[in-house]
Amino acid sequence: MKELQEKTQDKAEHTRERRLYTPAVDIIERKDDILLIADMPGVDENGLDITVDKRDLTIYGKVEAEIPANHTLVSSEYGIGDYQRAFTLSDAVDTEKIQATIKNGVLRLVLPKADAAMARKIPVTAGV
Amino acid sequence: MTIKHLFPVSKKDVAQKGEEHPIMSLRREMDSMFDTFFRGFGFEPVEGAFPAFNPKIDVTDTEKDIRVYAELPGIDEKDIDVSMSKDSLTIRGEKKEESETKDKDYHRIERSYGSFSRTIHLPVEVDTDKIDAQLKKGVLTITLPKSVKAVEDTKKIQVKVE
Repeated sequence: MKELQEKTQDKAEHTRERRLYTPAVDIIERKDDILLIADMPGVDENGLDITVDKRDLTIYGKVEAEIPANHTLVSSEYGIGDYQRAFTLSDAVDTEKIQATIKNGVLRLVLPKADAAMARKIPVTAGV
Repeated sequence: MTIKHLFPVSKKDVAQKGEEHPIMSLRREMDSMFDTFFRGFGFEPVEGAFPAFNPKIDVTDTEKDIRVYAELPGIDEKDIDVSMSKDSLTIRGEKKEESETKDKDYHRIERSYGSFSRTIHLPVEVDTDKIDAQLKKGVLTITLPKSVKAVEDTKKIQVKVE
């Protein structure tokens, strides 16, 4: 998909000593926009940081550790850590109108297609 | 029911054993046996190209309680069923697929959907009347207070130096 391409992660170092996970995403193209859905359990609107720098879209979700200090982890299938994933957007996405909502740990990002990218019917007038 | 369901331990499970504690691998094997057993009864969706959703679970322990954390992103509390029977806790539910979009074209599908059922065997007796389950930010936290008997039965063993 040319409108939205995954960006190979740069090796930026994070100040927080946290593990970083890649959230699973679904990308669905609709008539007027592109819908990106990411599973980010443990993240709410306060921990979410979405940035668009030129054409680079970065999603960062901060997870507050919920395991109290006096608890011993006896079984672990998921680690506590933050989420990050980056994509490169093409000109076909209108970066000014991106909308994000998060509910129950699922992020929904609506990326509207730019007007120019929308299929348009060109009226043809008969020549004289 | 495909041939792999006849074998309780998949290759993947065997491969993970080298890294973990023997008790953990036993527990995993038990869980996998339960999962395999229940699969034949329609708890799991028809297996297709997409892997079925299976929540990841963490368990913590303190002197007073056991806490079970399950990652259930995008699942409403009404679609989650938590039950306790004797010494095992079962979390069941369904992660529903997006259905609102008609004119759609999938470019990437990494998230999984479907029904799930996980059973966790508890090592101690818990006070079943005081179990608390909370869903927050897509993470379900179940607090199971240990029964008075279980707490009292815990004996501290003195280590002597010769």
